[in-house]
Amino acid sequence: MSMLYAIAEQIESSGIGVAIAESRFAYPIIEGIHLIGLSVSVGLIFITDLRLLGLILKRIPVERVLHHLRPYVLGGFAAIFVSGTLLFWSSAARMLDSPAFVFKLLFIALAGINALVFELIVVPRRVPVGLGTLPRSFRFAGLASLTLWTLTIVCGRLIPYLPTWS
Amino acid sequence: MTILDVLTAIQDSSLAHAISKTDHLVGAGLQIIHVLGLIFFLASLVLLSLRAVGWALADQPVAQVAKDTSRLLWVGLALTALSGTLMFIATPKLYYFNWAFALKMGLLVVAIVVQATLFRRVAQRAEPSLRFVRTSVGLSIACWFSVAMAGRMIGFV
Repeated sequence: MSMLYAIAEQIESSGIGVAIAESRFAYPIIEGIHLIGLSVSVGLIFITDLRLLGLILKRIPVERVLHHLRPYVLGGFAAIFVSGTLLFWSSAARMLDSPAFVFKLLFIALAGINALVFELIVVPRRVPVGLGTLPRSFRFAGLASLTLWTLTIVCGRLIPYLPTWS
Repeated sequence: MTILDVLTAIQDSSLAHAISKTDHLVGAGLQIIHVLGLIFFLASLVLLSLRAVGWALADQPVAQVAKDTSRLLWVGLALTALSGTLMFIATPKLYYFNWAFALKMGLLVVAIVVQATLFRRVAQRAEPSLRFVRTSVGLSIACWFSVAMAGRMIGFV
């Protein structure tokens, strides 16, 4: 743990880290990009999840929704990933101190595993389901994604509000 | 009665005290609802915009996509507006004198006007010209993204 802190402090005190932390506008603007990116990426993931649960866009086959939204989900995700990395860069040690941040990373990892299993195993194994009743595995993936991304957002917003570990 | 008197009265109301003096996690909860509502709202709008310019779901009628996403859009808008209003009531003086908040409210008015005049016609007109669609959609997205950006800056200025 102490080695992690040493690394985090080094990241934070590097040129880019200090530049972001000390600039009056860099940090809030990157925060803004993070928010806009996630409303596109996580937002479209939520819509896909609701489709998997059969609650929205019911007249459009699941495969089409997945296929059409994927580039925008990934594009938005690139924006969140880059802005998130920069935000972490400027406050690495403080983030390690925050249980909300660590849990946020955990939920992102689980959401990523869920998405990979769904895209690489669940979807290819099925014949196209189109407009019919979705297999249970599809609905489970949608519910898991919806839950995990909601928890990610909740933890992310709680970072400045929750006390540190010790 | 000046505007400051009004703000003071709001800030001293029992509703304001219930939000700001109970627990700091009440405020955090409102922030979370505000973000989740924004995500629902913007994602619905982005999907509809992508369809309108023909970048996604091009084989579906625009009106159908508009109808399908309208519930999520309104739920998102209601959640953001409600949580935002409660946050304002809790500490109106803090927000009133914050330039990012003023900017956000100005941009919000512009965004609503664009939505009600231009964007509405994109979803309703039978065959709008592509240039009209692209201009309306581009303006609308730019406005709403600016609202989000200005909103995120409130806590930092």
